[in-house]
Amino acid sequence: MSSSSITKPSAADDTLRAQIFQRLHPRVYLERFTAEKFRPDGRTFDEWRKVSVNVGSISTADGSALVRMGDTTVVCGVKAEVAEPDLDLPEQGFLVPNLDLPAICSPKFKPGPPTEEAQVLSDRLNEALVTSGVLSLSSLCIHPGKAVWTLYVDSTCINYDGNAFDATLLAMLAALRNTTLPKATYDEETGRTTCSRKNRSPLQLERHFASTSFGVLETSHVLSDPTAFEEPLMDVALTVIVDDHGQLISTNESGAGISQETLLQCISRAKERASQLQRLL
Amino acid sequence: MAQSAGDRRRINGPEESFSPVFDDDEEDIKLKTQRSRAAGDIRPIFLQPGLISQANGSAYIETDKTKIACAVYGPRQTKTTTYSEKGRLNVEVKFTPFSCMRRRAPIRDAEDRSLAVSIHQAIVSSIRLELFPKSTIDVFITIIENDGIEGCIASASVAASTALADAGIEMLGLVSACSAAIVGDDIHLDPSEAEARASSGTVILACMPALDNVTSVWQSGHMTADMALKCMERCHERCIDIHSIVAQSLLEHRTAA
Repeated sequence: MSSSSITKPSAADDTLRAQIFQRLHPRVYLERFTAEKFRPDGRTFDEWRKVSVNVGSISTADGSALVRMGDTTVVCGVKAEVAEPDLDLPEQGFLVPNLDLPAICSPKFKPGPPTEEAQVLSDRLNEALVTSGVLSLSSLCIHPGKAVWTLYVDSTCINYDGNAFDATLLAMLAALRNTTLPKATYDEETGRTTCSRKNRSPLQLERHFASTSFGVLETSHVLSDPTAFEEPLMDVALTVIVDDHGQLISTNESGAGISQETLLQCISRAKERASQLQRLL
Repeated sequence: MAQSAGDRRRINGPEESFSPVFDDDEEDIKLKTQRSRAAGDIRPIFLQPGLISQANGSAYIETDKTKIACAVYGPRQTKTTTYSEKGRLNVEVKFTPFSCMRRRAPIRDAEDRSLAVSIHQAIVSSIRLELFPKSTIDVFITIIENDGIEGCIASASVAASTALADAGIEMLGLVSACSAAIVGDDIHLDPSEAEARASSGTVILACMPALDNVTSVWQSGHMTADMALKCMERCHERCIDIHSIVAQSLLEHRTAA
């Protein structure tokens, strides 16, 4: 670079230099912001990103939702299929949640089988949906021992800008709320299940909840709703799931420990956020 | 549909499950083949470049029920060590499991590949690949909802070309594409899934209207040569309209940014 451009830097030069600095020293870049009590995207530490939920726009699915959390975009579609129940659980249907992080959503991911991150997230989502008892599996029974509904709750991330867990859980719950099942009858003589196209009824969801994620930097800075740039730099990742009565469903903390105070603070903030998100559904 | 057995990388459901069978399927198909617009009209197009912030360029296209997202990453260094003077274009197509009437289990099947090849063919000759030696440009396409494979190929080609332009990759011209189906003796442009199934043959035409060049023609099913040419002509007329939509949306996106 010539000396004149150093003495008189233009705005474009500055942006480019900031970008290079961000690439080479991401941690220092972030710390420069946190020292000023701000984050690279202009948010304060406890500020959330804007969330929008759009349900029922996919006609090939039995229920669907599109969630945008800042730039993170997740589409979820529920497909209902008929299956034979497990022998030891003749009245229980199946709930099968999966998250796909395809190559389209971020340069981090390559085409091919699910990445480690996608597998971990799918597993955590499955746990959240199953352990919370969002849906009674016996309500998916068509005929005991013969036919039950299987709900495939498939999510695809279209744009990955961090906090995919919160966005996906919200999308899955919104899609489940939007799902209607056709009235099905099992014919004992032929062993076939037939459905009526005209007669559809919504799922009976037992609980409403939402998850909230935080990232903690240097034990004192608690960043809510971290972006894709902030996420890998955090010392601690914390996810709290609470239901609409303020009861804890799951708390997941990983990384270097945090103080009890911080944890309690995060939980109370998660309650606040959960009721905010509930209003969107 | 059977799940790929023992896939430990996903949450698996029961071993076997089947798409529900409806008691009034025939009636439903008859209802869907009825066309609500004129034979020469295409479905309304919504095109938005730049929705995927992580990508170098992107576009989202919606034509009635068909919904497709497309992202361009690169150019990046080609992984193979052999020297190539021209850049490579890599197109990958993915269906979401809920995009079709029957659930698509998340395994790559032959349809993704054949779609990718068609889209690759439609856009490859518009890109100045000679400017990117030793490099690869990745085009990733996710089909969120599918209403007719022909329409999907056409819309995805338009979205891919828009995303490439959004990524600032040098091209000779914007590609637009349109499909047609022969239903009885009529030519129906931009057929839906039910219409395409009821037709005797289909044509998909991709072209660069600014240069008056055709980049790809894909005809299948039986029809007379005259009919095929007529289909191409009608598609070409519509491609000119689509071209102005693409140009307009790119211009609006640029001025807004």
